[in-house]
Amino acid sequence: MKNLKLASLDTVQQTIIEVGEVAFGRDFVVIAGPCSVESERQTIETARAVKAAGADMLRGGAFKPRTSPYSFQGLGLQGLKILEKAKQETGLPIVTEVLDPRDVSWVAEFADILQIGTRNMQNFSLLKEVGKIQKPVLLKRGMFSTLEEWLNCAEYILSEGNPDVILCERGIRTFENYTRNTLDLSAVPAIKELTHLPIVIDPTHSTGRLSLIGPMSMASVSAGADGLLIEVHHNPGEALCDADQALTPERFENLMQQLRPLRAFMNEMPD
Amino acid sequence: MKIDEIRSKIDKIDRELLVLLQERMGLALRSKKFKTNINDPAREKDLLARAEKLNLDLVESSFTRQLLETIIQESKRLQEEDRMLVAFQGEHGAYGEVASRKLVPAGAYIPCLEFVDVFRGVEEGYLDLGVVPVENSLEGAVTQVNDLLTTTDLNVTGEIKVLVNHSLLATRGTDYREIRMVYSHPQALAQCRSFLLRNNLEPHPFYDTAGAAKMLAREHPKAAAAIASSLCAELYDLDVIKEGIEDGASNSTRFLLLSREPYAGKGDKTSIIFAVPHEAGKLFDVLRLFAEAEINLTRIASMPLRSDPGNYSFFLDFEGSRQDHTIAQVMDEVQKLTIGLKCLGSYPADPMA
Repeated sequence: MKNLKLASLDTVQQTIIEVGEVAFGRDFVVIAGPCSVESERQTIETARAVKAAGADMLRGGAFKPRTSPYSFQGLGLQGLKILEKAKQETGLPIVTEVLDPRDVSWVAEFADILQIGTRNMQNFSLLKEVGKIQKPVLLKRGMFSTLEEWLNCAEYILSEGNPDVILCERGIRTFENYTRNTLDLSAVPAIKELTHLPIVIDPTHSTGRLSLIGPMSMASVSAGADGLLIEVHHNPGEALCDADQALTPERFENLMQQLRPLRAFMNEMPD
Repeated sequence: MKIDEIRSKIDKIDRELLVLLQERMGLALRSKKFKTNINDPAREKDLLARAEKLNLDLVESSFTRQLLETIIQESKRLQEEDRMLVAFQGEHGAYGEVASRKLVPAGAYIPCLEFVDVFRGVEEGYLDLGVVPVENSLEGAVTQVNDLLTTTDLNVTGEIKVLVNHSLLATRGTDYREIRMVYSHPQALAQCRSFLLRNNLEPHPFYDTAGAAKMLAREHPKAAAAIASSLCAELYDLDVIKEGIEDGASNSTRFLLLSREPYAGKGDKTSIIFAVPHEAGKLFDVLRLFAEAEINLTRIASMPLRSDPGNYSFFLDFEGSRQDHTIAQVMDEVQKLTIGLKCLGSYPADPMA
């Protein structure tokens, strides 16, 4: 691919991004938590549950990109403070989305990793802004984007001076409508051929179906992904957003017990 | 004016009324030190009569009387409570007040303009206790305070280490994205320099951290915030935008509690000040006494003598009480080797300090 001066494999073999006690590109990193921060109680209870189940980081949205302007838009600064508190309680690093270039420096004061959502993948002014901070960026693939377009967006961030970009495959739009999106698992080995940046999978938004999250998580490990981003809610029935696709802490724990041995097994596989 | 605007003005006035009442109650408590009896009917009558003479058409005299009587009653109740008057330097919400609240829990905390006001107030008996900073982990000794310690007759009866935890504060409803100017003491601004840079904020020096918070609450400047303790958020009704904004490892300040009386118990830490003759090895001779008696020194600092340029005062803090037999013996020896040995006191050590 042309013009990938910094993202292509020519420059580095594997980017390692250390956050807290784990490193993307070295360990299998599991990020779990609610779709959005709804209250202190909900966030901290979920944080404790995912920590106990073995998650490495907490996700949770304080700013929500919603299809409808009338849907819950997130708690904003209040949500960031709740995430900070959840981090103090559990020690889990925080991954949260930023929507507005004016918010970038502020979100970076609270979060350990800033997420760029699928709808903002090609929001170039936002990409330039997160390229200026000193925190890793989790860049989700645009739902209509090719790998080349996606990597060019990573290049935007790298070219501003931020070397720590984590890619996240979250499904693309196809004619198939049984699932919410189509999870493009082939992106994992393809990305590994094209770039040194780590890649994680979001099995929640890509499938939109609870029953498929487990199998696709296992498939992600087999495909060689560097981690997972999974929605967990301490009481999914009460969730203000995406209630029907969040795992309960119990289901998440079961999944974690299957994931770790599979990853260990894959590590033993001869190249 | 729209209803929202009117309401916000009313809120602001209510807040100021309460802050003024807090100040008034503090003064009432201080006045007690000059009176033999809390009840002073002549003064009360005079106060009520003067207020009634004010011709405010919306604040009727019957209401004024009722209001002032309630205030007087409350201040008499406070005077009877026998709270300790604890003086600190700075405005309400200063780190000195944070230290005072920890050292003396249910006190009345009295702000003083200068460190010398804290010392004089306690020495002369208008205030019960004083709380002053002696050293900061980043900036070193607070020279003004150390200088005052060399001349005072007050005793040190306690110590506490306070973590300087700076918060970014703004008036309620301020959109953090619109903040451009940040007011605070130059030292606090310097301690948060990279936070300010990261968020593209302009530092504006102010005389005091808590003073900046107070100014924000009173004047509501646009696009402005202050760096101060989170206690200030409670005292001035401000929003905490972000806690812990200092760069790198948090710094701490050690405060001493001052009293006219020495500490009633034994204590496990002692502070002394002395000077030595300008001869080779004199300071070493003193320090050797402590080394040989295996007394652990926790602080040693020197300060030029204002009265005698070229000569120095030495400040020594060590573990143990002057009531301990070994320490008493060492002190007798130290007395012989030094000029103007002064023991500030033995007091309970703060395990964190």
